[in-house]
Order: sequence, then C-alpha cells, then structure tokens
Amino acid sequence: MSSDACAHTDYEDGEVPEGYPRTGDDATGAEADVWGALAEVEDPEMPVSIVDLGLIYDVTVEDGHASVEMTLTYTGCPAKDMLTNDVRCAAMTAAGVEDADVTIQYSPPWSVEMVTERGREQLQEFGLSV
Amino acid sequence: MAQPAPGDLSPVEAQLLRLADDEYVLAERYTEWQIFAPTPEADLALANIAQDEFGHARLWYDLLQDEFGYEEPDLLWERDPGNFVHSPLVELETPDGDWADTVVRSYLYDVAERLRLDALADSSFDPIADRVRKVQSEEGYHREHAQSWLDRLTGGGGDAHRRVQSAVDRLFPYALTLFAPTANEDEIVAAGVRTRALADVRADWLDEVVPYLESLDVVVPDPSAVSHPDEVGRDGSHTGDWAALHEEFTATYHELGFDDPATLRSENA
Repeated sequence: MSSDACAHTDYEDGEVPEGYPRTGDDATGAEADVWGALAEVEDPEMPVSIVDLGLIYDVTVEDGHASVEMTLTYTGCPAKDMLTNDVRCAAMTAAGVEDADVTIQYSPPWSVEMVTERGREQLQEFGLSV
Repeated sequence: MAQPAPGDLSPVEAQLLRLADDEYVLAERYTEWQIFAPTPEADLALANIAQDEFGHARLWYDLLQDEFGYEEPDLLWERDPGNFVHSPLVELETPDGDWADTVVRSYLYDVAERLRLDALADSSFDPIADRVRKVQSEEGYHREHAQSWLDRLTGGGGDAHRRVQSAVDRLFPYALTLFAPTANEDEIVAAGVRTRALADVRADWLDEVVPYLESLDVVVPDPSAVSHPDEVGRDGSHTGDWAALHEEFTATYHELGFDDPATLRSENA
C-alpha cells in the first residue's frame, strides 16, 4: 500500500512562541502557590494537568486577588464554563488568595506543540501520541 | 440592552455580527446531518465541523457581549429573525438527503471564510485580530474535508457528479451574497476593522473556486450573468427557509417558560 493511500490531517503545524508553554517554574510566593493549585486541575477528557497541556498563559496575584489568563485547546470547547470555574476555584485554594478571576485568550493560539514534556509522557501513557 | 439591528451598528459591531451569524446558522444546518450522514466518519467529521463553527460563532458573539454590552438573549434567543445578518447561503434548507448540497455549500463557504479571516488578521480592532489565528488553524480541516468529498463525488461521474452540478447551480448565486456589503461597508474598511474591501475578497474567491470546480468538470455559472437572489441576508432580508430554522433553534428557549418559572412545593409555603 502506498504511503499516500491514507490522507491524514497534520495537527502538528503549530509553532511555539517564545516563552511558552508557561509552567510557573520561576514564580514565587502566592503566585507559585496558584500555579501549584492549577497543576492539580486536569483536562476534562484526559488525565493530564492543564498546566502540562500548556493552557495557562499567566498568573498574577495582587492584594489577595488572583488573575489567571488561560486558553482552550480549541474554540468550540464545550467544557469552557466548567473548566474556567474549576480553574477559578483551584486558584482560590492557594494560600493568600481570597478571590480569583479567569480570562480566556486565544493569542498566541494553542497547539499540541505547547504540551510540556511531562504532559507528553502522560498523554502517551493514556494512549495518545503527540 | 436593545437587540443589534442591521443598519444601526458601529463598524466593529456590524463586522462581528455578520461573522457570528454566518457561523452560527451554518452550524445549525450541519447538525441536521447527525446520524444521517452517509458514513460514520462523515457523521463524526460534520459533527466536529459544526462544533468548530459554533465555537467560532461564540468567539464573535462573546465580543459583542464583552465590548458592546449585549446579552445572549439579545443576540440569539430573543433576536428578531429579521435582525439576523447571515448570508442566505447558510440558511437554505438541505434538499432531502442531498449530501452533495452540504459538501458544495461547505466548500463555497469555507474558501470565503479563509479569505475573510485573512482580511481580518490585521484588524485595527485587536480582539478580532487576536482570535483570527486560532480560528484559521481550525478551518483548514474544513476545506480539506469538503474538497476530499468533492473529489470523490465528481470522480466517478454519474449521479453523484450530477448532484454536485445541481448543487453548484442552486447555491452559487446565494454564495455571492457572502460578499454583499452591510450598510457601513465603507466605514468598516476605512476604520481598518477589515483591511480589504468585500469586492476584493470576492474577486479572490472567484479566482479560487471557479478554476477548482471547473477542474472537476463542474460548470460554474457566470457571476455577472446569474440572477441574484432578492434576499441578501446582510440587511436582514432572508429566504423562506430561515423562519422555520429560526423557530426550531429558539423553540426550546421559549418552552423553558422563563416568565412562569417552576416553583418547588415548599417554596412560599
């Protein structure tokens, strides 16, 4: 069978912008705590942390208020409301955080290239090759 | 907050509304194929494409809410059907079981969508520009899907080829309404909301779809000779197919009976 017999869609066409994925490794204080709390939130469909999926773009904490900027794997994500609520609640469990808000942004656009090494291993274990 | 009404919108609102309405209404038509598409793979593919288009509609409706203060019911559930500004191409009822109709519509629309998104990538309105790349990354697959089906349907001649031809004859004049201007087209371009005029986008679209369809031995109507539909959508005018579709997707909302909410037995006891 020739190799072009089966047309396939190439999903690995994304480029990773400088500085992504963000994992909060260099965060300190309350922000580090929020990153830690977010690492506990899993994707609704796969047993992988949303931090390792590369979905979290930024975390800031000011006067006990955490602001999380995140993206979604794709724009039609039906779990958008659930996921943003999970993230908000997780952020509020961090020490020194009283309140949190979550904003969704699509720039830079997420692609599977943004999954961390650990995320890739976990996805592989789950049966997905990325 | 009032409903958005065509002819009474800022350039950004007008651009967002036509984007959102096109995607939303087309997705509604796609979902009608669920469990009826010709193969399980086609069924899944179309469900996925519908979900993408709903997602894109939500991106643009979200901006109308966040930036202009509309509420979801103003934009969808309670909006007068005559205030929707989608192209009639996306509202037309699919002839019973006619897969070729859906494939042709998808192809004509998706090429137009790519060109339209290209013209929005450098929008002066940042929230639009910020979303375009993500949407584009999801759209390539839609075109691939439509083209692979067009190749299959036209490859063997016979009935399938005839159905494609008949869908092109029927849909092409409506596809041209994708490029029909809204009242403030000049302002949209002058303000840089879209960086190219619809007339230029239309010319590029013709340069792409006509040779491709002709390469499949499909005759494409001469755009300057087709009889243009009276309904162009962008001004709120729609075909007879729209009323029924609108009623269908708003029916559940109205059945919920917000004016007469259910009460628990213990309430107000």
